[in-house]
Amino acid sequence: MTYKDEVIKAMELLARDKRVLFLGQSVAFPGSVVFGTLGTIDNSKKIELPIMEEAQAGMAIGLSLKGYVPVSIYPRMDFMWRAADQLVNHLDKIDEMSDGKFKPKVIIRTLVGSKTPFYPGLQHCSDYTDVFKLLFKNIDVVKLEKKEDIVPAYENALKSSKSTILIEISDLYNSE
Amino acid sequence: MSIEDIKNKSKEDLIDYLIKFEDEIKELYLSGKIRSPVHFCKGNEEHLIDIFRNVKEGDWIFSTHRSHYHALLRGIGREWLKQEIMENKSIHINNEKYNFFTSAIVAGALPIAVGVAEGIKLENSKEHVWIFVGDMAAETGIFHECVKYARKQNLPITFVVEDNGLSVNTPTQESWGKEDSGENVIRYKYERVYPHHGCGQWVTF
Repeated sequence: MTYKDEVIKAMELLARDKRVLFLGQSVAFPGSVVFGTLGTIDNSKKIELPIMEEAQAGMAIGLSLKGYVPVSIYPRMDFMWRAADQLVNHLDKIDEMSDGKFKPKVIIRTLVGSKTPFYPGLQHCSDYTDVFKLLFKNIDVVKLEKKEDIVPAYENALKSSKSTILIEISDLYNSE
Repeated sequence: MSIEDIKNKSKEDLIDYLIKFEDEIKELYLSGKIRSPVHFCKGNEEHLIDIFRNVKEGDWIFSTHRSHYHALLRGIGREWLKQEIMENKSIHINNEKYNFFTSAIVAGALPIAVGVAEGIKLENSKEHVWIFVGDMAAETGIFHECVKYARKQNLPITFVVEDNGLSVNTPTQESWGKEDSGENVIRYKYERVYPHHGCGQWVTF
């Protein structure tokens, strides 16, 4: 089993929960490594979105307020800064600023872009895990450095009452 | 109180109801009993009353830092609202029983409202989403993204722009520039030959 196989297994586990929806770019159409990890998931559970990272983050919050568990996917961690406003000012704070009346729970899946054998450029392979851990007060941030951690981490994210950001490492995808 | 109770009142009675509440909050504010920002709504009664005639029980309201009238017209009790304001939460009035959500980030609630509307569409329910923004929010990029996406996806959402011409004290249209900004854009269509990156053939390293 490779790292990627474990990611696929984790996505299948999430998809068995009827509340789960996968949203982002390349969830239903090929375009990034993400598409290949969702191949066994029924298209009815996918919402292919245009590039609008902040709106995507907000939509995920809205879907969670309606009872869904959105898995909001950003294929490269660099792109998450464009969603940061919604994550910092809303997802991280809504529970507190509504006195616990609204409790959005979103699973965010992102990847540190691979650097080898093909270098994608400075804006496509950054790892901001440490910064994110400092940035969020109420969102768990989990970096998936070992393949055996992947399924349990996604399972925990699904069970948790909190939102979770899970960070995959593209350079490990083919490792056994 | 329900939204139907509100709708059963005459327009004159509702204007009176809103303004009396606003005046009471103003008194408290001036006496120093509220120690956080309060954004008063006076002058915005009539349009809102007309719009809320179309809001139904179960609908979602997304509002801003200036939410008192929206809350009252949604049927949220005045004493509960007053208490929240007294507890310095005027810019964060949230009430899940009334599907009432606010954000004090300009344009911040827009995509959240769109997400709720997406959820309503997915479950094929009859709820509707109403989102209220100011005129500066309506000029932001994310406003246009949300309006365009919602329209093309036929989502059950109505965007309401409350245009008082000012963002804090910045004249919205003057700061954006009043002239038509379309002339500096060139747009053309083409068909790509290769995929997004690479040339459609695997390269072995």
